[in-house]
Amino acid sequence: MHSVVLTKGVPDFREGQVSFDEDGHLERGATPTVMNPNDEFALQAALQTKVKQGGRVSVMSMGPPGYENVLEEAMSVYADDLYLLSDREMAAADTWSTSITLSAGIEKIGETEEHSASAVTESGEPDIIFAGFKTADGETGQTGPQTSWCLDRPIVTHVIALEVDEDEEKLRAKRLVEGDVDEIETVEAPLPAFVVTDPEFEPSYRRAEHRLKHKRFKAETDERVENYEAHLTTWSAEELDLDPDFIGLDGSPTIVSGVDPIPKAPSEREATMVDPDDAEGMDEVLETMRPLAGGD
Amino acid sequence: MGDEATTTDLADEVIAYGADVAIYHEDERLERFRHKPYTEIVADMARCGAEPPSWVTGDPGTEPTAEWRDYDKPRYFLFPATNNGRDLSAQVQGELDSGLASDCSGLTIEEELVSNPVKTGEPGEKVEFERVLFMKRPDFSGFEYSTILCLDNPGREFHPQGCSVIPGSFDPIDPDYDREGEVIEHDLELPDDWFRVEVTEFDRLDEGVDLTGHDVVVALGRGIGDDPTKGIELGLDLVDAFDDAALGLSRGVVTASYDLDGHVEQYVAEERQIGETGQVVEPELYVAAGISGAVQHKVGMDESDTIATINTDPDARIRDFSDYFIEGDLFEVLPRLVESVEAGELTLQAEASDD
Repeated sequence: MHSVVLTKGVPDFREGQVSFDEDGHLERGATPTVMNPNDEFALQAALQTKVKQGGRVSVMSMGPPGYENVLEEAMSVYADDLYLLSDREMAAADTWSTSITLSAGIEKIGETEEHSASAVTESGEPDIIFAGFKTADGETGQTGPQTSWCLDRPIVTHVIALEVDEDEEKLRAKRLVEGDVDEIETVEAPLPAFVVTDPEFEPSYRRAEHRLKHKRFKAETDERVENYEAHLTTWSAEELDLDPDFIGLDGSPTIVSGVDPIPKAPSEREATMVDPDDAEGMDEVLETMRPLAGGD
Repeated sequence: MGDEATTTDLADEVIAYGADVAIYHEDERLERFRHKPYTEIVADMARCGAEPPSWVTGDPGTEPTAEWRDYDKPRYFLFPATNNGRDLSAQVQGELDSGLASDCSGLTIEEELVSNPVKTGEPGEKVEFERVLFMKRPDFSGFEYSTILCLDNPGREFHPQGCSVIPGSFDPIDPDYDREGEVIEHDLELPDDWFRVEVTEFDRLDEGVDLTGHDVVVALGRGIGDDPTKGIELGLDLVDAFDDAALGLSRGVVTASYDLDGHVEQYVAEERQIGETGQVVEPELYVAAGISGAVQHKVGMDESDTIATINTDPDARIRDFSDYFIEGDLFEVLPRLVESVEAGELTLQAEASDD
């Protein structure tokens, strides 16, 4: 089973890492880039597939040369090999031109003998493409479904549990549906397919044999990551045979016309300032709390 | 779209809510959302049966000629930003070779003088675009608002301008069931191949955590970052000290990927998020610990009767919508509040027994 996991680098939004300029705008340059946290679930799903079905896990990203660190981070979770689609022409892409680019990368894997490792597809394209649910920066959740649409694959999104059946060439997944009512659907899809994992995704290794394999694969990827560049393939727009009008900013239907700091809310309440060491002040606050105290 | 049970009343309902035309497609196989048929049907409705242009990467140069791009055909395309709605919006706009912004909370239609050379075709040139949809959305994990525009390129038209809208961002219209509108049944053959993904089972989930209707909500923000496990524990201690309280979180905590100890891990989940994309609460008392007070958070709690804040930064935005602002470290202040509230409970009990 050949899986490809799509990933993206995002600013590190953890406390203390993220920087703002004087106007309250996010300073991307001063904020470190890390692998999108949601993509870890996609990697876990691909690793689970490899443990149970065998095969290969490739990781693919579109981004500038500096993105190699993001791929390194992905490999530290699990990857057999890495693909970076990198070209100045691809810069400033919205989700649609990103999807066109990523789908070209996936098709190229299928077309190139030394990269193709499919178990079920006729075209040689990877059997399952995995993506995480939305990135921490753009937060659109659109790139997975749009890339899948470009590839004309059956798609299952918001996956929280996954089983792949290579013999029957299909997958069975539980997916989370949120809306008026929250539901869990069980769905079956034929391979090749596209899977978007939900942040609630949990890998499952019930058999001892699988747990041992998982441990061994993790040790192997830890070793590979030391020298991750040896496992990296970089493709340019030309190598992917992409029309410059369909990628990057030029191929993007949407542009960002403005970015505003979240506006400061108008003052609606006059806050009484309280020093926690001032007993009298604290008493005033506690006056509002004590009537609501527990009864038993 | 849906089976007979879904579509029968829905067309009349949307007209009561303001639609002039309702187009529906009825098929028993459409009872539940499925990506492929839903996308194909909606895209076909949008282009009124015209042949789609070829945007596929293998043949990207094909000129889009279909007349469905005329401006009197759908110029804007709005979807709900639910799990399925977001997927549908992305795929339909892709199929129509156009763009979209997701999770919008504000929409306006304006003229815009555009200088971006990709859109004008000529560096230095300014071109006026008419009736542009300004799509405002919280971005970067809630740190900024971005305004997204979907604009034609000189050689490639991007219509309709699409977006998904966060449910609840706009006030609902009062329905008028006497309102008249046109109802059109959509006609399209649905090949079996579109139903390759099969839903074999579905179960309704438990309601999840309901933060509304409690006397007190204790909410934690990124101020717990120094020791998130301890922070959650302290928040839970204060919740326990009250008679009827619930634990809420700011979006920052939900998205932070903290390394938490197992016993508190279950509490850090989207279902506890308060604010624009989470729950809206109006308790008697709202305790905000370590929350800076982004405007998205504010809309989830500013109808509370009393808002007591604990924060080390006296300039934090939340001060403007707090009644009490305890300037201090939540790791020190919360235990003191727990102790005092629990002690207060004893006093009240003593008073009660005197009666």
